[in-house]
Amino acid sequence: MLEDKNGISSILDTMALKILIVEPGDLSVVGELLGSVEELLVFGGETEQQRWLHGMAVAFKAVMDGMIMGELADSAENYELLSKAVIQMQEVVRTGANLDPTIISTFVKHINETGYPLTVSTLLGAVEREGTSPGVSSEEKPGEPGPDELAPALASTGNPEDSPGGSSGGGSSGVPDFLQDRELLGGFIDEASEHLASIEVNILELEQNPGNPDIINNIFRPFHTVKGVSGFLNLTTINNLAHATENLLDDVRSGKRSMDSGVIDLVLVVGDTLREMVENIRDVLEIGPERYREFDISAQVAQLQALRATGESLGSLTPVAMTEESIGENTERNMQDDEPPKSLADRAIASEVAATSPSSTSMAVAKGTPLPPVADQQTVARKTIEASIKVDVGKLDALINAMGELVIMQALVRQNPLVVKMADPKLAKDFSQLRRIISDLQHTVMSMRMVPIKQTFDKMMRLARDLSKKTGKKVDLVMEGAETEIDRNMVDSIYDPLVHMVRNSVDHGIGTPEERTKRGKPPTGVIHLRAYQKGGGMVIEIADDGEGLNTVKIREKAATRGLIRPGDSLPDFQLNNLIFMPGFSTADQVSDVSGRGVGMDVVKKAVEKLRGQVEVHSQPGAGCLFVIYLPLTLAIIDGIIVRVGSERYIIPTTAIWKSLKPEPKSYNTVHGRGESLLIRGSLVPIVRLYRLFDVEPTFTDPCEAIMVMVESEGRRCALMVDELLGKEEVVIKNLGGMLAVPGVAGGTILGDGRVGLILDLAGIISSVAE
Amino acid sequence: MTAQQETVEMGLDGNERGASSLAGKYLTFSLGAEEYGVGILKVREIIGVMEITAVPHTPPYIRGVINLRGRVIPVLDLRLKFNMETKEYDERTCIIVVEVQVHSGMAQVGMVVDSVSEVVSIAAEEIELPPSIGLSLEMVNILGMAKIKEAVKILLDVDRVVGKGVVAAV
Repeated sequence: MLEDKNGISSILDTMALKILIVEPGDLSVVGELLGSVEELLVFGGETEQQRWLHGMAVAFKAVMDGMIMGELADSAENYELLSKAVIQMQEVVRTGANLDPTIISTFVKHINETGYPLTVSTLLGAVEREGTSPGVSSEEKPGEPGPDELAPALASTGNPEDSPGGSSGGGSSGVPDFLQDRELLGGFIDEASEHLASIEVNILELEQNPGNPDIINNIFRPFHTVKGVSGFLNLTTINNLAHATENLLDDVRSGKRSMDSGVIDLVLVVGDTLREMVENIRDVLEIGPERYREFDISAQVAQLQALRATGESLGSLTPVAMTEESIGENTERNMQDDEPPKSLADRAIASEVAATSPSSTSMAVAKGTPLPPVADQQTVARKTIEASIKVDVGKLDALINAMGELVIMQALVRQNPLVVKMADPKLAKDFSQLRRIISDLQHTVMSMRMVPIKQTFDKMMRLARDLSKKTGKKVDLVMEGAETEIDRNMVDSIYDPLVHMVRNSVDHGIGTPEERTKRGKPPTGVIHLRAYQKGGGMVIEIADDGEGLNTVKIREKAATRGLIRPGDSLPDFQLNNLIFMPGFSTADQVSDVSGRGVGMDVVKKAVEKLRGQVEVHSQPGAGCLFVIYLPLTLAIIDGIIVRVGSERYIIPTTAIWKSLKPEPKSYNTVHGRGESLLIRGSLVPIVRLYRLFDVEPTFTDPCEAIMVMVESEGRRCALMVDELLGKEEVVIKNLGGMLAVPGVAGGTILGDGRVGLILDLAGIISSVAE
Repeated sequence: MTAQQETVEMGLDGNERGASSLAGKYLTFSLGAEEYGVGILKVREIIGVMEITAVPHTPPYIRGVINLRGRVIPVLDLRLKFNMETKEYDERTCIIVVEVQVHSGMAQVGMVVDSVSEVVSIAAEEIELPPSIGLSLEMVNILGMAKIKEAVKILLDVDRVVGKGVVAAV
């Protein structure tokens, strides 16, 4: 039951985060959201609370399906409403058994506002009918789309016949066909994903080095490869789209037209579509053919062909200025100013390439064909990439596990009393040699699962570019330290928070060019994205040169929400960090870009899940700096070992802010129970660990014991322990895969070979709050 | 082999056919006065009792977790699981590590038993299936009863006892 609850709230957390970053038309995130909702539906309804939650999930899914099918508006307002709906669902989980009816009515209200009809009775009715007697569904009135919506909606995600038949590829027969070569297909998916990911990077580089033929080649190549292999595997839709793009790019390569922003925009969009299609095929392979989705590419193909037609006819005859104009019809353009010289230079170089390597697709890069100076830099950069092999992640994890054991065993042998007694200099020397080798080995092994954060940063480049176009603001994103390495397992989890923060910076931080000029700043705003290692962890900074946080507004809001008392004089730094409190957002207007009510608290939660911390520094008028501290790896945790009776527990060091022996006068009780400590003017609840974990303690008097002050998700508590034993870096292990214990995050092997339990502070604090 | 042939000759009695699929090698161990058997293919290894770290909020029969060469695995006490009276661990007490099916795949779990006896081959005709009706809670954990030289050995369904049992309990 408790396990279920944790599962549900973590799914809801994920949904809250996904809703934050979703944009109208962004199918991949919507798909992830749908996946989460479906996970929610798995949880059955035994208690009343669970039934409500299930009903809410059904309604939520129906709305999403409506939005996907185009029955409801796919608009930012609706996402905003959905995000409010998620908050209500979180409320249901939080309040537990004593369900507040207003939560349900608020939820129903939000859902209704999306244009989807729902009443409280249909909400619960949907669940009961669905859960207990599926046969009754014929009795449903057609006016109540609640439960019947579900069936067709499910079919629509899975049934290829449902799809619009307009795909010019005509690949509807593709499902059974292409599944015959699973192995080949798997290889294609990996390869294609890699290729497609490189498109963005190269396009962004091209914007820095306009007209560099190497980069144009690099953009051309993925489409060419994808076209070739997809044709071979009978993936007609992908093949058609890739082919059309390749044709357009081929014109660019051969100098027939310039790589202007019309082409760039379209290529980016096509790249995204291709990636979605490839991901869809991955789904089909992993889950089953019912996941197959048909994509309508006719519009994009037509656009590609139109663009190509204009480019070709104008390329030889008409002046550049005309080309500019005709492309302007297709796309909105912000960067018109730098266009003419770029395309001229572009042509000159491009034709040069065409002359040296007429038809080769990848040769130019591989051989480092002699090119103008701009390109030289590029080729040098490429050459530094060393040979690498792909290794199964499972094998890597096994290696890391074995490594951890080796380190512990070595310590055990060295500490063996018999060995210690042998005062043999040769033995001592050998041991120190052994230790050195093992520590080298450990470093190498650990570094194997580190990857540069560059890939994630590159995606931010793209994001900033798209956002600046959308908002009409001029933004430069500057990356520093992109080669800093991060645990592979963390890369995915850090992506969503980063997206949200970059959006936040563009949306709220940086003003429009006019505003900026008025304030005496250059019209183009700069966002610095920095990564570096510090101490035992890594730091990611996002700094903008915008207006900074509005401290006055934050103070007002905090006061109205009861977070601070009117008289409180918090320093600005603490005040600013209140934006990480749940439901705190200073954006007055909900914009299309960000500020959907659920804000930075979701970021903080996500970062804390990675055992990191996030804080904000702001200078009014000069900008805002978000700092994320992360551990270097998820496999190792820096912890304080504490003793309670005969048991030892590990508390993550990052969560501890203080430990002390309390004075009697700071100890308070309410009605003889509810114990708390008065620390610097705030009351911190006491958790007697021995009581929570049912062990025999040494001390039962709080003033004799030691209080470890910890913080998690913005809530603090004081853990009562008998003794602090020391600080150690420990390797996290799960408890054999079958025990999910509230309050325990996992286990580790301590220096003496025994297992120690690592505390899950969020779990402990919420269990106390209940 | 001969056992299987005999079953075929004896006709298609359902009971006997079920028993023939149970024939094979079993590791036998004792709990109090009773002898139990567990299919040898489920057993990963047998270790002596080591220090067990208690895990809070678990049923009493889950003794906690141990460090099995760097892996953390849960350990349960079969006496407590079967509601038998507890016994101090001594030098004969063993932990049998079995690999069982749990919802998320295969997992290794330790079972504390009084002592490990031997590995025996049990033929189909020596096995009697549990009665199909009126199963008590304890009986669903049993694959069958084997009569070998007047002694009765209880053949345990470890996937149920250890795998599903532990998951359901937490």
